[in-house]
Amino acid sequence: MAISFTLNGKSQSVDVSPDMPLLWVLRDTLNMTGTKFGCGMALCGACTVHINGEATRSCITAISSVAGKKVTTIEGLSADGSHPVQQAWMEEDVPQCGYCQSGQIMSAVALLSKKPNPSDTDIDDAMSGNICRCGTYQRIRKAIHRAASMQAGKA
Amino acid sequence: MSAVIPRRVFLKSSAAAGAALLLPFHLSGGARRGKFFEASDSHSFSPNAWLELSSDGGVKIWCGKSEMGQGVRTSLPMIIAEELSCDWRRVQVVQADLDPKYGDQLTGGSGSVRDSYENLRKAGAAAREALLSAAAAQWNVARSECHAKNGSILHAPTQRKLAFEQLLATASALQPPADPPLKKPADFTLIGTPQRRTDTKLKITGAAQFGIDTRIPGMLVAFVERSPVYGGTPRRFNADEVKSAPRVRAVLEVKSAHLTHQFGETSGPGSRNYSCAGVAVVADSTWAAMQARKLLKVEWNEPAGASESTASLREAMLRLASEPGAVIRSDGDFDKAHADAAKKIEAVYDVPFLAHATMEPVNCTAHVRGDSCELWAPTQIPGAAADSIASALGIPRDRVKVHVTFIGGGFGRRLIQDYAVEAALISRDAGARVQVVWSREDDMRHDFYRPAACHVLEAGLDAQGRLLSWRHRASSPSLDAFYSGTGISPQAAAQVESLDFPALFVPNFRLEFTVAESGMPLGYWRSVSASGNQFVLSSFFDEAAHAAGRDPLEFLLAAFGPARKIPVGNQQALDVGRRRAVMELAAEKSAWHKPLPAGQGRGIAAGFGWGSYVAQVAEVTCDAKSGAVRVDRVVCAVDCGTAVNPLGVKAQMEGAVNFGLAQALKSTITVSSGRVEQSNFHDYEVLRMSDAPPVIEVHIVPSTEPPGGCGEPGVPPAAPAIANAIFAATGKRIRHLPIRAADLRSA
Repeated sequence: MAISFTLNGKSQSVDVSPDMPLLWVLRDTLNMTGTKFGCGMALCGACTVHINGEATRSCITAISSVAGKKVTTIEGLSADGSHPVQQAWMEEDVPQCGYCQSGQIMSAVALLSKKPNPSDTDIDDAMSGNICRCGTYQRIRKAIHRAASMQAGKA
Repeated sequence: MSAVIPRRVFLKSSAAAGAALLLPFHLSGGARRGKFFEASDSHSFSPNAWLELSSDGGVKIWCGKSEMGQGVRTSLPMIIAEELSCDWRRVQVVQADLDPKYGDQLTGGSGSVRDSYENLRKAGAAAREALLSAAAAQWNVARSECHAKNGSILHAPTQRKLAFEQLLATASALQPPADPPLKKPADFTLIGTPQRRTDTKLKITGAAQFGIDTRIPGMLVAFVERSPVYGGTPRRFNADEVKSAPRVRAVLEVKSAHLTHQFGETSGPGSRNYSCAGVAVVADSTWAAMQARKLLKVEWNEPAGASESTASLREAMLRLASEPGAVIRSDGDFDKAHADAAKKIEAVYDVPFLAHATMEPVNCTAHVRGDSCELWAPTQIPGAAADSIASALGIPRDRVKVHVTFIGGGFGRRLIQDYAVEAALISRDAGARVQVVWSREDDMRHDFYRPAACHVLEAGLDAQGRLLSWRHRASSPSLDAFYSGTGISPQAAAQVESLDFPALFVPNFRLEFTVAESGMPLGYWRSVSASGNQFVLSSFFDEAAHAAGRDPLEFLLAAFGPARKIPVGNQQALDVGRRRAVMELAAEKSAWHKPLPAGQGRGIAAGFGWGSYVAQVAEVTCDAKSGAVRVDRVVCAVDCGTAVNPLGVKAQMEGAVNFGLAQALKSTITVSSGRVEQSNFHDYEVLRMSDAPPVIEVHIVPSTEPPGGCGEPGVPPAAPAIANAIFAATGKRIRHLPIRAADLRSA
């Protein structure tokens, strides 16, 4: 049975097993590989996307539960990497291997939408579900603060 | 079936690879005009394998190493661009696939920059020299009056200027010099300047293609249930039942295959360097394969290692490290001196097995057809993947084509090509293009682990509080015996280094090692043996300092003595001045002598390796009630010789500190009945944002010495710096990793 939802602003319909996680719908059915597989148990955050604006682990989110909702992935954040959080990531030269960074950025964007000027404690709380084995945490913190001031400047 | 890469291209590439005539740069004589410098378009200039200038002003530079986060797609092209004197902003970096023209493509041992430095400089310089000659000819002026700058050749006397792209045809007709002059470091305009990474945009938009992102038409996905004990084989499995699950294409036994070692074929009898046997479930999609795998029931033939446990190995290692072992180094007379020591200390240390836990799970995509194999591999060593596959499939090595993808974390895991061979075997047997994906559980349970180890140390001080005697006996499973076999000498099997500090600096010094038997698969883990050994050595040295009633920094500096170079064989020398300088810099930047409030402490540790000198000072806060440790700050001083990209060096040091903190505070692999007990990030913990220190400061010592490595040397000092800081804060000595809250709670 087809399941319909909004993906990065466009309507999308997929005909897959209803228990298939959103992660594999994105990666296998739709060939959108920007969202990453890391653990399959919502322990590492590599698969983070937004569902109706909330940071959500797509690896444990059955596609049936996404029906009618708005999904945003890293590919939908901006057409060209121009989102303030992406720009801040560029400025701070954050990524190393880069594998976790789609999830890191999606978590950071969700944090900033709730707390436009987060403290370090807010960042710890919001970002501790996203593992980076290369150890870019200090740069992520700086980039989030930078993005916060960029967005404040725009407002 | 349509091939992804057109067959003619594949054959052409294979023929070129098979001929193996192309040198890292085409500087040999006998070049013929036109033919030799054949380029992908007629308006380009490509004097060697590493670069191509095009008529639109663009510069393509190939990266011959694998990008796994360490920044080689930035630092290596910078070296070429420096000598070429092009406009860095016009450089487009291209990943090289496996090809002999790129020389040794092994990415490991913190060697990418230091091993390629001269060669890449020459590649860029040869192109620059040809462009200089072309411009001089075009202007009919003396070549010595011309110079290259920022993508142009300039003739200062007449203020004329030609952009590189105006010189392509003329330059292509020239023979580039075989031994071009290189710039003086004082003339560098790019090397030594902080440059942002060239791959960041790909990585913030989701566009970067990691191995697991490979999508080729008709590709099937396989998961493999591997023997829970390394070396086991499937005895029986329910193939028919699993095959009837939705979208399943095949259920196959995957045989264990011998692997070519990263440093060439060194295996002797007893080598255990092979991929894990198992049963593959091949399906249309990842989810279908994952679901069908749950139905799989496998009975295993278990090997002898099935009785091993963490406790039994620890007991064996402790016993072996408490007895005399093979002598790795002996200076003076330990027994005699130690008997006379005014004060003596002794301690037992141990470290656990560790998994790499790269964020990108292990994976590989293969397409085997007849006697050829095409591979899309996140590999640190595409050559060993090709060797191992050729051997396992019985096909010619030059028929294995390897595309090198971005790697989502290496840390040494992807030096071992088990997953590449597995993908090739499954592709052959399934008759299809296959991507093998490891779940996180597969990754945790079937890694090649950093060996556990146990160390027993004794040291003696003379009446003046100087180190007089030091004996270090260690035991652990041997990486070298794992790969090379049981026939190697006890010295070759040792997992301790004869030159590791305080060797050379204690008059009566003895280092012994005994191999402990283990069935566990072993691998190279970022900084290899130093990851554990330096925790032990720097911690016990700190114990000696406290026993002597001395400040640990002063005690270290006193042991090293004055700046000098100490020959260590093989025409290498240990530069004591550089070792001292990083310690002094870290101490100064951390305000080492400034007192801290109660419950806080500072610790120092320093190391030398991979051509670089690193010292770190950690500041911690300990909560006596809960036993919690918070790392407040780590100050890292590094002398890596010429820092090609200081921004990249800083990133590597920051990452290395965090990687070392994970070892200190979080991670352990334990074994029961030969099986790894951990399975995912809930029980194999790594560093998270909330654990990461607010500040990691990196200070780079300015230097024009040849570049040293940067991927690994920042890892080993982190754990002992933390442990020594904890002692300073609490008086409790950490002798076991990871640090447990129970170790620090006040009684």
